[in-house]
Amino acid sequence: MSNSDLHGRTDSYRTATIPYLPDDNKTADGKIKSRRKNAAIKKQKKVDNLDDLKQELDIDYHKITVEELYQRFGTHPDTGLTHAKAKEILERDGPNSLTPPKQTPEWVKFCKQLFGGFALLLWIGAILCFIAYTILVTTVEEPSDDNLYLGIVLTAVVIVTGIFSYYQEAKSSAIMDSFKNLVPQFALVIRQGEKLTLKAEDIVVGDVVEIKFGDRIPADIRIIECRGFKVDNSSLTGESEPQSRSVEFTHENPLETKNLAFFSTNAVEGTAKGVVISCGDNTVMGRIAGLASGLDTGETPIAKEIHHFIHIITGVAVFLGVSFFIIAFLLGYNWLDAVIFLIGIIVANVPEGLLATVTVCLTLTAKRMASKNCLVKNLEAVETLGSTSTICSDKTGTLTQNRMTVAHMWFDNQIIEADTTEDQSGVQYDRTSPGFKALSRIATLCNRAEFKGAQEGVPILKKEVNGDASEAALLKCMELALGDVMSIRRRNRKVCEIPFNSTNKYQISIHETEDANDPRYLMVMKGAPERILERCSTIFIGGKEKVLDEELKEAFNNAYLELGGLGERVLGFCDFMLPSDKFPLGFKFDADDPNFPLKGMRFVGLMSMIDPPRAAVPDAVAKCRSAGIKVIMVTGDHPITAKAIAKSVGIISEGNETVEDIAQRLNIPVAEVNPRDAKAAVVHGTELRDLSSEVLDEILRYHTEIVFARTSPQQKLIIVEGCQRLGAIVAVTGDGVNDSPALKKADIGVAMGIAGSDVSKQAADMILLDDNFASIVTGVEEGRLIFDNLKKSIAYTLTSNIPEISPFLAFILLDIPLPLGTVTILCIDLGTDMVPAISLAYEEAESDIMKRRPRNPFTDKLVNERLISMAYGQIGFIQAAAGFFVYFVIMAENGFLPGRLFGIRKQWDSKAINDLSDSYGQEWTYRDRKALEFTCHTAFFVSIVVVQWTDLIACKTRRNSIFHQGMRNWALNFGLVFETVLACILSYTPGMDKGLRMYPLKFEWWLPPMPFMVAIFIYDEVRRFYLRRNPGGWLEKETYY
Amino acid sequence: MSVNSDDPDYLAELYLLQLEREKLNTWEKIKLAIYDADRGEIFGKDSRRWVLAAMSLSFWWIFSLTLNPRTPKHLTSDSLIGTNPGLGFRPSPSTEDNVLSSLIWFRGSNASYSFWIQNLIKFLDVYKKPGQTPGQGQNIHNCYYNQPPSPGQVCFVDVKMLGPCTEENFFMYDRASPCIILKLNKIYGWKPKFYTDPNRLPNDMPFDLKNHIRDLANSSDQATRLELNTVWVSCKGESPADAEFIGPLKYYPKQGFPGYFFPYENSEGYLSPLVAVYFQRPRTGILINIECRAWAENIKYRQKDKQGSVHFELMID
Repeated sequence: MSNSDLHGRTDSYRTATIPYLPDDNKTADGKIKSRRKNAAIKKQKKVDNLDDLKQELDIDYHKITVEELYQRFGTHPDTGLTHAKAKEILERDGPNSLTPPKQTPEWVKFCKQLFGGFALLLWIGAILCFIAYTILVTTVEEPSDDNLYLGIVLTAVVIVTGIFSYYQEAKSSAIMDSFKNLVPQFALVIRQGEKLTLKAEDIVVGDVVEIKFGDRIPADIRIIECRGFKVDNSSLTGESEPQSRSVEFTHENPLETKNLAFFSTNAVEGTAKGVVISCGDNTVMGRIAGLASGLDTGETPIAKEIHHFIHIITGVAVFLGVSFFIIAFLLGYNWLDAVIFLIGIIVANVPEGLLATVTVCLTLTAKRMASKNCLVKNLEAVETLGSTSTICSDKTGTLTQNRMTVAHMWFDNQIIEADTTEDQSGVQYDRTSPGFKALSRIATLCNRAEFKGAQEGVPILKKEVNGDASEAALLKCMELALGDVMSIRRRNRKVCEIPFNSTNKYQISIHETEDANDPRYLMVMKGAPERILERCSTIFIGGKEKVLDEELKEAFNNAYLELGGLGERVLGFCDFMLPSDKFPLGFKFDADDPNFPLKGMRFVGLMSMIDPPRAAVPDAVAKCRSAGIKVIMVTGDHPITAKAIAKSVGIISEGNETVEDIAQRLNIPVAEVNPRDAKAAVVHGTELRDLSSEVLDEILRYHTEIVFARTSPQQKLIIVEGCQRLGAIVAVTGDGVNDSPALKKADIGVAMGIAGSDVSKQAADMILLDDNFASIVTGVEEGRLIFDNLKKSIAYTLTSNIPEISPFLAFILLDIPLPLGTVTILCIDLGTDMVPAISLAYEEAESDIMKRRPRNPFTDKLVNERLISMAYGQIGFIQAAAGFFVYFVIMAENGFLPGRLFGIRKQWDSKAINDLSDSYGQEWTYRDRKALEFTCHTAFFVSIVVVQWTDLIACKTRRNSIFHQGMRNWALNFGLVFETVLACILSYTPGMDKGLRMYPLKFEWWLPPMPFMVAIFIYDEVRRFYLRRNPGGWLEKETYY
Repeated sequence: MSVNSDDPDYLAELYLLQLEREKLNTWEKIKLAIYDADRGEIFGKDSRRWVLAAMSLSFWWIFSLTLNPRTPKHLTSDSLIGTNPGLGFRPSPSTEDNVLSSLIWFRGSNASYSFWIQNLIKFLDVYKKPGQTPGQGQNIHNCYYNQPPSPGQVCFVDVKMLGPCTEENFFMYDRASPCIILKLNKIYGWKPKFYTDPNRLPNDMPFDLKNHIRDLANSSDQATRLELNTVWVSCKGESPADAEFIGPLKYYPKQGFPGYFFPYENSEGYLSPLVAVYFQRPRTGILINIECRAWAENIKYRQKDKQGSVHFELMID
């Protein structure tokens, strides 16, 4: 049976290259293999490696005989490897540890902050300013310093913001580092006949290792001997139940076969001896981790939006710049002046403060989320959950508590529900009935699990237990119901026991009862329900022992089917009082060759257990679904359990059926069911392997409720890719190594902080520090809110661009003295506008954002033409009008009526003219008229501040009226006050005229912009009023951003 | 204003609207051009813009009602013009093409200096207009220190009293000894405070001016003492080298602006008093930096930003 038959890939290069001889590191002609490879081969190799890792594991170590195994590795089961050989292999392959993912060097991270996205725009602006200044310096005698200052300020803004972002991200990666588990691992290895304790890193392929329960498996091994050995594969496959191991080859799939155990899983019971078949990066875990680190994470949605925004702004800037460049030429300016204008217009379009505003807004949200125990590793991920349209969630440890708990019991012919909540806040059941007393006695006594010592004060459900998961569940349930199990066991001393074995599927123990009057021994037995039932002839119901007839057997079967159908693990319990005549006190019971009856017992009841969902999950899933987010379960566990959990958390809702359910209900074969009728689907991993991407897309598209079970890590990745192909923004939640490729590939990966493995935390973008799934709902809400608020912030900031640019345009076109200078523009963008813009991040949601559908990333953009049209074309114009109004007012009041100003620009700016006359014949020196001009700049600046008051209030809401939304955003109210106070300081502080050229204003000059300010308020209120009245009308299409 | 909505339905709507429009006849098209209810447009632009424009203009109109056609709203210290007049000089080298120049540069030849002559002629034109002869004009008056003008009257400035600096003499440009005319900037309502005490003259005042003031002050004649009510003027080279090259200067009609010309109140036909500075023998072939200053107790001088003065350059080839 060749590999090609198995997988249908006759020309797999991997098949061809699996060595049957050990690699001696020499090429075909005897030379040592060179380590240098050129870059192209390296890149191709990386792609090949990634595709490779995506393929399912393709090894044959579990299939070959042990003799062939020993021969391949040159080892022997009793003596192990020789020291020399081990050393040689160690040198050849390297240590048995995972190569840590490539850490980007700190300076690269810093540069990314400094030059990414928005910052690049500001750098280009700064460079253009320096170019303009250089041109002026070389051509004009006394160049103004404006361009130099502007360039320096832009550079400073970018650097300060870059340092700030870098610092924020450094803080969260410091927290990441604290997760690393640095305890070294040891293993018991046989070398040259001796047993040595070595560090796990020194193990090589071919080593013979011995493992006992409690150990972590140090490498991938093929089991050659084992006794009652069970491993917990949950971090690798998601399977919550411990898997028993043996030496037999039971399944083609290496992950399913029983004779392999894998690196990083835990041994929970028994002992074993095995041969190491792969180490380090070649282990299954290593391959998964390699897949995760090789994946490209891609751009976050918010980064895409910011790029889109930059394109728009750049487009507008270049368009305006070039148009006015041409116009300047036509008006007769020389080409140097025209170039300066071009640069000035392009730079004036760049909103300098927006980079800092966006960074601070995202940081505020990140901090808010951190206070709710969501650690966000990079700022942009804060918004991604808000855009998420699909969540692919792992089951074990994420949706469930990863702890088997008794969920149901069957006795007295009824099914009783047990309390599975973490804090015992659920339903309580009746503990007084004799049926329960009998059942609980068996469950307490026929049980080898014990609590670990020194756990006073720890809640019972959280205590650690020595023993397997099912027995631990029973132990805890009994401890809660009866209290102090240990003293019960002491009072009912065990005299004999037959432990559980997988052939018989039961376990028995015999005890002395605590009843001093009754000398009989009690035999208790538990195991697989059908095996238990066969050994019973009576059944304990309603306090009486009845003969087990067909009717009662039927009742038993129904109960068993029902509990099994819930995906729970069912155990049967029976007991028997051994008659004292045959079995008097002191009787020597023989466990190996039972000298007591194993039939005719009294059936008492069933207990079933399940890994229950975390308490907060059903609610969180419901909220996500009402927010329009699709929730898909992707797990390595069995389909029945997965489906049961999916139903209990709400991923499959009441009344929705899969094709199998419909087939069963209508009693027709599955193939005849119309797949479109089934809203829900449960897909098995083996089916998934054979699906093409088109069929997978169909499943994802047409079913609203999907569960993928028995999926391998590679398949999880493929599912995520499938969702992304359909245009969804995907969030993945998980905790194990098997989730890490999917976590990395997702638009946002969410890992559990406490239960999660290092690899998954490394791959994720967000970590739930308290493992609370409900935090995802918070994340979605915060993400949507910050997206909306960023829109408002950007609209607010962009609006002031028009009153900032239009003075310059008027200067060129109308030849009037400059109404607004560069320094004053900076005072707006980096001074008065910043705090109000940031305060919009604190704005409350306008309507219930969790009832909206997720945004469509192709059509719902952060900044769209409507926003630009509102900011630039509507409110911006009103603001510009206010500015120009106050400009002309001041000029006129001082003597320059508007008519006199047109065409006066050149003389106004000439130092050679010391007696420029105004409309009243007065003659102005250069110094005095410049003071007048700067006073106008100050007044224009103040008028922008004034109109931005109502612009801020208007931007607060996109749809609601301000009277409805209220003024409860205190950060915003503070912003209003702060910007006004700042404007007063800038205008009235003595000495400002020397440094910033800002002059004190007469109080009456604050008044001209007021009517425009009121106009903005009224205009936007009316607009929003009509918007609410006519949803979907032309007003909304043209102005609702 | 065309808005690219992201909604394909909206675009489809617009397209259909356009198609319908094409079917209308001319008259209806004209009506649409004026007022378009569907798109909310008046004259092809958004009605919003028109409302904004109308609003702004009406605000302006309301404001302009507060303005006086004769008097600026803010005066002297209340206004940015302040209380420190500067000086202006003619001929002005600053032209359309070369607005930043303050250099008077010429050669002895006619072609070269005719530009400056024309400039001066044009400037003095308003001083020579008929109707300005006293008695014949409406409000022109021959003023003197003891005959100040009454409100609404303006004082006569006789351009024939500028010494050799007359049009017939080509303002002496042909003899490489140019005349440059100075005037004090007009500030509505500004009244000078004259230097009347010869002991309290500023240190940097040139000696000959100080002596002149001293002589006037010590004169026994009342009328002569009245001449102290003058805003004095003096020119000098800026650096020691310029002071050497500037040569002797003479001022016509006198070395200052008589006080009866002030305050300026935008009276009809007001003429600024003139002082012609005659550069008798400036050094040729070299650029001379010249600074002229006005002197009064309330004229503050600051070298840095040329307050109370004016700067220009002279170069004669």
